[in-house]
Amino acid sequence: MPQKKTIPIKEPSSFRDPSGYVFYSKYNVYRKINEQYKDNYVEFIKSGLSKILIEGKLLLSFTEDNEMNYGYKYLKVAKIPFISYPYEWSFSQLKDAALLTLKIQRMSLEHNMSLKDASAYNIQFLNGRPLLIDLLSFEKYKNNSPWIAYQQFCQHFLGPLLLQSKTDLRLNQLSKIFLDGIPLDLVSKLLPKSSFLNFSILSHIHFHAKNQKAYAGKGDKKLKLVPKISKTMQLGILDNLSKLISNLNHVNAKTEWGDYYTFTNYSESAFKMKKSIIKKMIETANPKNVWDLGGNTGEFSRLASDMSISTVCFDIDPLAVEYNYLNVKKNNEKHIFPLIMDLTNPTPSLGWNFKERKSLLERGPSDLIMALALIHHLSISNNVPFEELAKFFVDLGKYLIIEFVPKTDSKVKILLSSREDIFPDYDEETFEKVFLKYFDILEKKSVKKGSLRKIYLMKKKSKINEKI
Amino acid sequence: MFELIFLAIIYLFVLAKPAQAYLDPGIGSYITQLIIGFSVGGGYLIKVYFKQIASFFKDLMKKNKQK
Repeated sequence: MPQKKTIPIKEPSSFRDPSGYVFYSKYNVYRKINEQYKDNYVEFIKSGLSKILIEGKLLLSFTEDNEMNYGYKYLKVAKIPFISYPYEWSFSQLKDAALLTLKIQRMSLEHNMSLKDASAYNIQFLNGRPLLIDLLSFEKYKNNSPWIAYQQFCQHFLGPLLLQSKTDLRLNQLSKIFLDGIPLDLVSKLLPKSSFLNFSILSHIHFHAKNQKAYAGKGDKKLKLVPKISKTMQLGILDNLSKLISNLNHVNAKTEWGDYYTFTNYSESAFKMKKSIIKKMIETANPKNVWDLGGNTGEFSRLASDMSISTVCFDIDPLAVEYNYLNVKKNNEKHIFPLIMDLTNPTPSLGWNFKERKSLLERGPSDLIMALALIHHLSISNNVPFEELAKFFVDLGKYLIIEFVPKTDSKVKILLSSREDIFPDYDEETFEKVFLKYFDILEKKSVKKGSLRKIYLMKKKSKINEKI
Repeated sequence: MFELIFLAIIYLFVLAKPAQAYLDPGIGSYITQLIIGFSVGGGYLIKVYFKQIASFFKDLMKKNKQK
């Protein structure tokens, strides 16, 4: 019987660049190169730039696929386990992505090439570190030409970093509204007045924003009258940007749950016990990938990632995600990936035709969802009924490790202290009854004898009966 | 400090007055790169040469020590 051919699926976000596009077959990811990009691609390979970038783990690795012979060339590219976006990154993740882009541009100039775009969406994280995934971003350098992606770099990287550093860490969410980077006039308005005293910020942001307005619609005629930008001048600009960004730190704000693990409700022995229970449950589920929802600094995520399971640790707190990422870097961890996510308003699908940037749901499902010490935040702080919670989790993953935190728990008491208790059904019995509509309970454990907090391992039912 | 004064002079006297129009990505960014490039390009060149000279003397010292 002839084998059924799988139809390749084109990546919906890969449409802007006429040089080529990304598509997926059943098991692999490919990038098609169009004829018009041929000269640049040949130079990219011939100059040795591609080799040096891949060896330095700065660029996504690829091999030429000679079996497909229509079009100019096909590249089979390495797979990224979880695609993420700048509005989900912590400060240092964006900072590292920015410094990587500048480093690649510097190396490109050394090889007589240049980055034609500097989009933050061209950077993804693999094995704990950022790398450039757009293999068609390189073009031959034209003598004395400016860096064409300079403005995009300022909008996608420099502006958001400065706002998080000088104004407020939460302004990283602006990238969700301005998908092509935060307009520089807005960055200029939001930065404190003291930033005018810094030469680099004054020039790359305030001066730049002013120039954009001053020269808007003036066309190319004026360009012929002004001097050219030499390679040394461009290297000087890149050096200046690198220095500015390297010295940036996030606003040292103490956020809600940043110090959560120092105020945990468990004693040291109970905490160890909790870890051991969860570890065994992960082993039982035997997942290929894990999403730890509300994972804070990744204490429990590491139970999975230490078993070499690809684990994404989501948390609403940008500072917790920042600490987690800094630990990933320090310990050179490869399997844990911290990201910012507000579960009460998870990343939606965004951009052109709703398909350019994927929602959290579209990037799932995961084999195993962990929701530890989370349910009371969603149920009580955010009024989400158990039914809605169960539906949410069942869409996201196959297995679920969930901790039930009762009303008698001190953390829940704190949440209820400032509001009316409108949750008569918030109890273990109702929790189990509702979740049993969607999941089979495989295990149920108490961390210590008499503890009212319960940890469950559940598996999605093959047929969900919502009528029960 | 020199860079800051240099930029301020250009900013105040050389550039055209802002026009009320939509943002244009082209020439404004070009002019910005040009001015910053002038301000920092020389410094960068000196830094590169200084590094080269420093590494030359370092190598020389190493060779002398080995001898």
